[in-house]
Amino acid sequence: MTSFFEILTSGQLLLAALITGTIYATVGLGLNLVYGTMRLLNVAHGEFLMLGAYVAFWGFSLFNVSPFLSAVVAGVLTAALAAALYFGMLRWCLRNPRMRKRIEPNSLLIFVGVSIILQNISALSFTGTPRGYQYLSGVMTLGSISISANRLGAFVFCIAICIATLIFLRRSATGLAIKALIQHKEAAEIVGVNVTRLEFFALCAGFATAGIVGALVSMTEQTTPFMGFPFTIAAFIVIIMGGLGNLAGGIVTGLLLGFIETYGVAFTSAAWSSILLYGVFVLALIVRPEGIFTVRQVVR
Amino acid sequence: MLDRRSVVSALFLGFAGIFSILSGTVLAQEAPPIRIGFSIAKTGLFASATPAQLNAYHFWRDQVNEKGGLDIGGVKRKIEFVEYDDQSNAASAVKIYEKLITNDKVDLLLSPWGTVSHFAIVPVLERFGFPVIGSTASSVHVRELNVKNMWFVSPSTHDKLSIQLAQMAKEQKVSRAAVIGSVLPQSKEIRNFLVPALEAAGIKIAVNEEYPPDIKDMTALLSRIKAANPDGIFVLSYPADSFLYTRQAKEIGINTPFQWLAIGPTIPAYRKMFGSSVNGIISMGHWSPAQSHWPRAKPFYDAYVARFKEEPDYLDTVLAYMSCEILEEAVAEAGLDKAKLREVINNKTFDTINGPVKFKGVENMTTPVGFLQIQNEQFHIVWPAEISTAPIQPKLNW
Repeated sequence: MTSFFEILTSGQLLLAALITGTIYATVGLGLNLVYGTMRLLNVAHGEFLMLGAYVAFWGFSLFNVSPFLSAVVAGVLTAALAAALYFGMLRWCLRNPRMRKRIEPNSLLIFVGVSIILQNISALSFTGTPRGYQYLSGVMTLGSISISANRLGAFVFCIAICIATLIFLRRSATGLAIKALIQHKEAAEIVGVNVTRLEFFALCAGFATAGIVGALVSMTEQTTPFMGFPFTIAAFIVIIMGGLGNLAGGIVTGLLLGFIETYGVAFTSAAWSSILLYGVFVLALIVRPEGIFTVRQVVR
Repeated sequence: MLDRRSVVSALFLGFAGIFSILSGTVLAQEAPPIRIGFSIAKTGLFASATPAQLNAYHFWRDQVNEKGGLDIGGVKRKIEFVEYDDQSNAASAVKIYEKLITNDKVDLLLSPWGTVSHFAIVPVLERFGFPVIGSTASSVHVRELNVKNMWFVSPSTHDKLSIQLAQMAKEQKVSRAAVIGSVLPQSKEIRNFLVPALEAAGIKIAVNEEYPPDIKDMTALLSRIKAANPDGIFVLSYPADSFLYTRQAKEIGINTPFQWLAIGPTIPAYRKMFGSSVNGIISMGHWSPAQSHWPRAKPFYDAYVARFKEEPDYLDTVLAYMSCEILEEAVAEAGLDKAKLREVINNKTFDTINGPVKFKGVENMTTPVGFLQIQNEQFHIVWPAEISTAPIQPKLNW
C-alpha cells in the first residue's frame, strides 16, 4: 500500500501531474487568447488540434519529418486556416454592428459548424482508422523517474510555448497591447491600439497553438478525426475556471487540474478522477463564477 | 404530304419508343438492389474503434457486388447500404434501427458496434421480428433474455471468456492479479465474471479498480499496481485506454510477465505506435490467417491487405466479416422471409473465415474462446491449444 508520504514525495507522480497540467494549460492558452481578444467561442479548437496531429502523422509517415518540426508546420498551417476563416467569414461578422453585438452566441454556432465540417473532411480524406507512429518512444530514467522521450519533448515544448507567451505579453509592445485589448477593448482603441490587426494576430496565434499541441500529442496518442473533442472540453474547463480572457490564470488553472487529476487518483481511486475534476469545476463556478484567478472589479 | 416538322416528330417518337422498350428490357433483367441498413459510431467516444468493422462491411459489400450481387434464393441482387452515424450513443442506435425497419424499409440489417448498442437494439428487433447477426459484441444478459432475433458471432461471452482467461493465467503460474477496467458496461460485465473466476482458480486479487472512460493519466493507478507487484494484470479496456495503459505501463516499467488487455491491441495502429515493446501483450481474439484449419482465412487476409494496405483488426474486422458471411449464406437459402431466415440461422452450420459456425440460442457454439498474443510484432493465437498457432510466451520487458 502506498503511504501518504510516498505519494507526496513521488517524483513520478509530480512529473505526471506537470505533464498533464502543461498540456491542459497550452490547449487552453490558444482558446483563451481567441476568446479574450475577440470574444469568439471556438468550439472547433480541438479540431484544429486534430489537424495538427495529422500534419505530424503524415509528415513522419511519408517524409520521415520529426514531429517537432511538423509542430511548426502545423502551427503555420492552422494559422493560415484561421486567416482564411477570418477573411472568409469572421471579419464580416466582427464589422457588422448587429452581429458584433451577439458575437459570442453567433461564434458558437459558426464554430460548431466548422467543427463538424473539419471532422467530416478529415474522416473522408484520411478515413476514421486510428493512426499511430513511433518517434522517440524509448523510456528515459532519472533516479526513480521514468518518462518516454516523446512525452518529455512534448512537455518541454509546451512549457516553452506557455513561458514565451507570458513573456511576450508582459515585455513586448504588441503583447501589452493584446493585454490592453483583453482588459478593455474601447479604452485600448482610444489610446491608439490597432484593434483589427491585433485581433487578427491573436486569432492566428490561438489557432496555431492548437495545431502545435496536436502535432506534439500525435506522438503519444492515436490520431483520428474525432480526437479533438476531449481537448476542446479540457480547454473550456481551463479557461472558464481560470477566468475567460485571463491567460496567466488559465495556465495556472491548467496546471492545477493536472495536479487534481493525478494526485486525486493517487489519494483516492481512479474511479474518482472525473468526479474530482468536474466537482472542482462546478465548485469553482459556484464560488467564483468569474474565474478563480480573476480579480473582482469594484464598480463605483 | 408530310412536312419536315412531322417527319422529325415521327422520328423522335420512334426513337423514344425504341429506347423505352430497350431500357425497359434492361431494367426488367436487372433485379433492384437489396438494401441493407445499420448504424455505427462514426463520431463520439467509440469512433476510433469502429473503422475496423465498417471496413469489413464495405469490403464484403464490394466483394459480393463484384460477383454479381447477393444471392437471394437464387436471384442475384446488388447490395446497397443504408448507413447512419449513431454518434456512439446507444439510444440513437435504437431510434435508427427502428427507422431503418419502419421508414427506410430495408431488406436486411447488419449490427452496430459494441456490446452496449447490440444490447440496446434487441427490443426493437424482437418487436419487429427482424433478425440481426451480431458482430463486435457478446452478452450474458442477452443470452439470458432468450431473444429470438440476435445471434453473437463472438464466442467470448463474458462468463466463458472469464473461465478461459483464469485457466490460461493459472497455467502461466499467475498467483496475484491486478484487475483494472473502465466503468463502461462491457468492462463491468467481464469484471463481474472474471474476479470470481480468478479467485476460483486460486489467484488472489491484489488490485481491483475502475476508471472513467475519459481517463487522461494512469500514473497513480499504475504506480499502485507496481507497488502491489502482481504477476498478472488484466486491463478491461476499450481502445483509447489500451493505448494509454500501454504508454504509461511502459514508462513506469511494469514488467509483469502476464498482461492481458481486452480491446485495442488488435487495432493495427497499436503495433505501429508501440512496435516491439508490446511483444508479449495478450488480447481477446480467436482468429489468425496462419491457422490452416480455416481455408478462407488466408485469402481473406491477402485480399484485405491488398485493398486497405494494412492488416485487418484480428478481432473486430474478423467478427464483422463473419457476420456478413453468415447473413450471405443464410439469405441464399432462406431468401428474405424473416421466419425462414431465423430458422436457417438457428439450424445451419456456416462456413466462415474463422471456420464453421453453429449457433445454439444466441451463442456461437463452435468457435472456441481464444486469446491472441503479440510475438515479433505479429499476432498469434496462443489459446486454446486446438487452434493455437504459437505457444504462449511471458512478457519479458518493454
